[in-house]
Amino acid sequence: MLRPFRVLDPKSIADASAELRKYGEDAKVYAGGSELLLLIRQGFVQYDYLVNVKGIPELSKLKWDGNSLQIGSNVTHGQMERSAEVREHFPMLQNAESLVANIRVRNIGTLGGNLCFGDPHSDPATALLVYNTQAKIAKKDAARSISLDEFFVGLYETALEPDEVLTGLDVEPLPQGVGSAYLRVARFERPSISAAVTASKKNDQLCCVRIAVGCVGPVPIRLSELESKVEGATLEEGQRIVKEARAHYSEILEPVDDLHGSAEYKTYMVGVMLSRGLAQATGTNGGS
Amino acid sequence: MTEAIETQQMIDISLQVNGETWSGEVRAEETLLEFLREQLRLTGTKRSCESQVCGACTVLVDGMAISSCTYLTFEANGKSVTTIEGLASGDQLTPIQEAFIRRGAAQCGFCTSGMLISITALLKENPKPTREEIGRYLNGNICRCGAYVQILEAIQDVSGK
Repeated sequence: MLRPFRVLDPKSIADASAELRKYGEDAKVYAGGSELLLLIRQGFVQYDYLVNVKGIPELSKLKWDGNSLQIGSNVTHGQMERSAEVREHFPMLQNAESLVANIRVRNIGTLGGNLCFGDPHSDPATALLVYNTQAKIAKKDAARSISLDEFFVGLYETALEPDEVLTGLDVEPLPQGVGSAYLRVARFERPSISAAVTASKKNDQLCCVRIAVGCVGPVPIRLSELESKVEGATLEEGQRIVKEARAHYSEILEPVDDLHGSAEYKTYMVGVMLSRGLAQATGTNGGS
Repeated sequence: MTEAIETQQMIDISLQVNGETWSGEVRAEETLLEFLREQLRLTGTKRSCESQVCGACTVLVDGMAISSCTYLTFEANGKSVTTIEGLASGDQLTPIQEAFIRRGAAQCGFCTSGMLISITALLKENPKPTREEIGRYLNGNICRCGAYVQILEAIQDVSGK
């Protein structure tokens, strides 16, 4: 049995924000519920009010307009996995979404909910970072858009203010001919280590290199400094650089020893996975 | 707990369960698993991990596989729910149920309801899944007795692969 709560049904983002402001810490946004209900059952959190945002139509849009992919917060992992447009224009993101938990969680769990939960062990969060994704945020009288990098603040912590709602994402396609790869170590329901890489080759030199790593520390991170070191290198040099950057990973990723592995194991594996990722991304242009 | 929730919130719903209409009030926090097992006494749907990991409580909502342990009943308002009790028509089992019996695809049987429901959803989406596609689709249905080989064979009997 779940601890009793009341369900509120706002019909607009402004109304949802007003409910959040009114009830403060006694209320939480309810989208898919697959993470929230779990935490309520396990007694980690208690809310008197669930602000059900499923009745707000604009949050359910999934639209590719030729320039960017707009994903409403209520779009489920399953919709992302099955969308022909996501598959065609964002094959690596589609792959990452198809790996989330299991079919039942993907059918119910929303991408917005996954990101707002701020669990470091998220497949789509890591993948989205290499597409220069913008997070669209709104409250009663205002709206803002921030880079997804800035959305993740800490362990289970996001940049959302108490009365703000993540309304959706704007995802930028990769430049023409740039390949991508999503790799992960996964022994449990959630990934233990995840990496997203993009790259292409021009006269044997790597270009358009983007690297994101997730699950290792409190938040998924774009490794911009490493990207610029690999940019312009040959594939073999690039692979050597990412394998030898273990000290850099220890410093920037803040790895911890836990059930998923030791910090040493994780930083070692990041090097291995990024090396494989560079090979995969450049081997299959446009593919995952 | 604030004053507001000292009284339980009841929500009016109407839904179809295995083809029959049910209308009435449910508690806001009531899960579909509780509703099915306790209100309707449809105990074929099993309670196990209660965290969407094991698959024992899988049911179909409008044809889509979900974990009924982590799905609020009021969400099923206006929808159609299929449980293990709704697969057969009378004594007529579905082909995958027949194949499970033929192959002995269960030991203790606790995962079987969820397995059969998930496989029903799989075969509807993809009537001829490859071995890999079967593995990926069913990776969230756990059989602790380890009858996976017989389960796979039963699916392949039905899909003709």
